Amino acid sequence: MFLLVSNLKEKPKSWLMKKQVKIVIILVFLFLSVYFAYNYMYQDHRDIKEEKAVVLIPASELVSYFNENNSKKVLNKTVQVSGIITEINTKNIILDDKVQCSFDSELKNLNLNETITVKGRCIGFDELFEVVKMDQSSIIK
Amino acid sequence: MGRRWTFRKLKINVMKNLLFVIIFLSSIFSIVTAQEKFITKSGEINFEASVPSFEEVKATHNSVSAIIKSNGEFASLALIKGFRFKVALMEEHFNENYAESSTYPKATFKGKVKDFDISELSTDDKEYVIIGMVNMHGVDKKIETKAFIRKVNDIIFLDTQFILKPEDFNIDIPSVVSSKIAEEIHVSASFEFKGKT
Repeated sequence: MFLLVSNLKEKPKSWLMKKQVKIVIILVFLFLSVYFAYNYMYQDHRDIKEEKAVVLIPASELVSYFNENNSKKVLNKTVQVSGIITEINTKNIILDDKVQCSFDSELKNLNLNETITVKGRCIGFDELFEVVKMDQSSIIK
Repeated sequence: MGRRWTFRKLKINVMKNLLFVIIFLSSIFSIVTAQEKFITKSGEINFEASVPSFEEVKATHNSVSAIIKSNGEFASLALIKGFRFKVALMEEHFNENYAESSTYPKATFKGKVKDFDISELSTDDKEYVIIGMVNMHGVDKKIETKAFIRKVNDIIFLDTQFILKPEDFNIDIPSVVSSKIAEEIHVSASFEFKGKT
């Protein structure tokens, strides 16, 4: 006991400094881990508009990926399709009766039978209407 | 001889008329019984499994397909990947760990609106009961739910709310996160059907 106290009395400065450094290191580590954890938990959504499309094909060909059990190549991926507008709804359009492209905002200035190119995320094949569905679409031209 | 001949002619005439009447009646009958179809490709489904004081667990889908026929038959299909969450990581976990959307890409419902009569629909909501099967995560589950249906300018509006449990669909929620996800998932769906020509 006596030894320990004398020891402390001998070099109190370096001991305190060591403790301070330790505290700083722990704080920095804590801060960094919180920062990375937060960034991981609240990472941004994918920006489909900025992503490069994995396939650029006519709208009618997108269906064939699902017929040939090749859906993994396009599912949840960014795809770009072109075709003729066969149906216009408030927030989605249908190309060549085969691909439904949903948009996040309402559509305007589009006409039936117009040829158009759309980029979006392929979310799957809808057996009820036999269309491939895309969301987060954006018009390329 | 002459009388018999006119009689035969008469008989042929009657049969001709009868045939005409039968064709006429059957065509009317087929028009009456032909099922009118109403469809939508942009139905909305929301679900929420939030627990108070934890992060909101909530998703929205607004390109759900659905068909309702004039006899009350009802079918709907939602692509799982179309459910959007506010938090990107939650969406990723939902797709990869819980709904396993690569293996089970869709959720479907097939059923019937009980006592549905399209001519009885008005611009005011009328309460109906829908009975049918939900298929999700490869598991069938029978449900019965209330639905409110109205018809405005040839558009049929259908709204319904029901509760699903992850355990009923073989979806395991690990104990680490189970306190943050409600055991009962509140689902609400809303469709605007347009007549199909």
